[in-house]
Amino acid sequence: MINIQNIWKQFNGEYVHCGISLDIPDRETVVVLGKSGGGKSVLLKMIVGLIKPDRGNIVVDGNEVRTMSYRNLRAHRMKFGFLFQGAALLDSLTVGENVALPLRYHRRKKVTDIPARVKRALETVGLEGVEQMMPSSLSGGMRKRVGLARALVYEPPYVLYDEPTTGLDLETADGINLLINDLRNTLGVTSIVVTHDIRSAFVVGGLFAILNEGKIIMTGTADEIRNSTNEEVRKYIDSNL
Amino acid sequence: MDGTVPENSQAVPSFEFFAVIGRHALRFLEHLGRYFTLLWWIIRHFYFARAYTRSVFRQMLDIGNHSIPIVIFTSAFVGMVTAVQSAHQLYDWIPRSVVGNLVIKSVLLELTPLLTALVLAGKVGATITAELGSMRVTEQIDALETLAFDSVSFLITPRILAGITMFPVLVIIGDFVAILGGLLGAVAVAHIPAEAFISGMRTSFLVSDALFGILKGVFFGFAITSIACYMGYHVEGGAEGVGKATMSTVVLACLTVVVLDFMLASTLL
Repeated sequence: MINIQNIWKQFNGEYVHCGISLDIPDRETVVVLGKSGGGKSVLLKMIVGLIKPDRGNIVVDGNEVRTMSYRNLRAHRMKFGFLFQGAALLDSLTVGENVALPLRYHRRKKVTDIPARVKRALETVGLEGVEQMMPSSLSGGMRKRVGLARALVYEPPYVLYDEPTTGLDLETADGINLLINDLRNTLGVTSIVVTHDIRSAFVVGGLFAILNEGKIIMTGTADEIRNSTNEEVRKYIDSNL
Repeated sequence: MDGTVPENSQAVPSFEFFAVIGRHALRFLEHLGRYFTLLWWIIRHFYFARAYTRSVFRQMLDIGNHSIPIVIFTSAFVGMVTAVQSAHQLYDWIPRSVVGNLVIKSVLLELTPLLTALVLAGKVGATITAELGSMRVTEQIDALETLAFDSVSFLITPRILAGITMFPVLVIIGDFVAILGGLLGAVAVAHIPAEAFISGMRTSFLVSDALFGILKGVFFGFAITSIACYMGYHVEGGAEGVGKATMSTVVLACLTVVVLDFMLASTLL
């Protein structure tokens, strides 16, 4: 369970979060919708402790992220898989080495076990025989899939998606959406998806939160969002659908 | 008098001048503080770096092996120029073997370590900053952190260790090549007999001179790689930021090398 409690954050004197509170139930996919540059990615980075809030707390499984020591923070991060917007694969490593990275350094598994787990993770995201390829030779959709395989290879209970479908064509975006749903259904992971792609959001989301001008203006199910009479929500939904 | 500064007053630009100086001084101190914080982090978390020994060897190859051609090229010409210019400046009544003395002293103590460092400040320093800067702007460093890596121990410590170990090796290679270059320049251009040049070198060769040059390599290696890592790791502002940081690294590393060179010469010679 992730509890986001009254988060405030400013950059260069401008607030991007003004008292955000949100609960993420276990085994649920929560979609945070909002404009580009509205602080959605910052929220994900706060959850894994990459950015500290100015005020407020984030509590994951009863532990406050803000006050964690660096050693505890590293243990905390092992609970999360993080799919970055551009996949953030290490350019100097092959696809296989990228996916194996967390296993090779943290899990102390027998080396013989690692290739099998890498292969399995890549198969989960619909890729086979790409272990020896370099990230630069992959398409955008493949890069995202490899990024997702890397995020899933150590089977974390939480997966965070930062704009998973941005920059992809419809067919590839649908593939990623299916994958997100499959992961929830088969592995039971708790997911947070931040996106401004409403079409995809309604495919993957169970619960929704709409972030506008640093505040969450509405939370609810897909139907509640669609039928909302809140003027700001309507404006956002209508302009993006 | 209402206390306001009249328009077109000459006082305004002069205050602005001091404000600019103050802002730059504060910015410099901020960078210095962050640089030493980074170094302190490396020392405190050195045990994390044990897991990344493969990374150290990879960096040693990148910094060391890939720099050998440029070091050989530079050192050969440094040796030749030193020999030719020394010969040119000597009076006829001074024995020609003195050219050997001058070449070996200049090369071991000063020229090879300094010029190797200046060349590598461009090559190695710029490469490291561009690599780390690109990783920062494409969120690869954030990705490492989310995978529970200590990104400093994984990316920076191996590069600095490789710099500290490989720069002295490059200086040793440079010393040999520069001496051979000096011999070639002395014989082929200044028409000094090889025996005279070699005997001159042998009479003034001191192991301590060679060790001093190698020690300089250690300091220069540390300075260049740590500055380059700092600049790359803290890049802001996308591709433009990477370009600016790379340029700053080369300038800053070169300046640091010459200042360090003077400080080492003043304290250790």
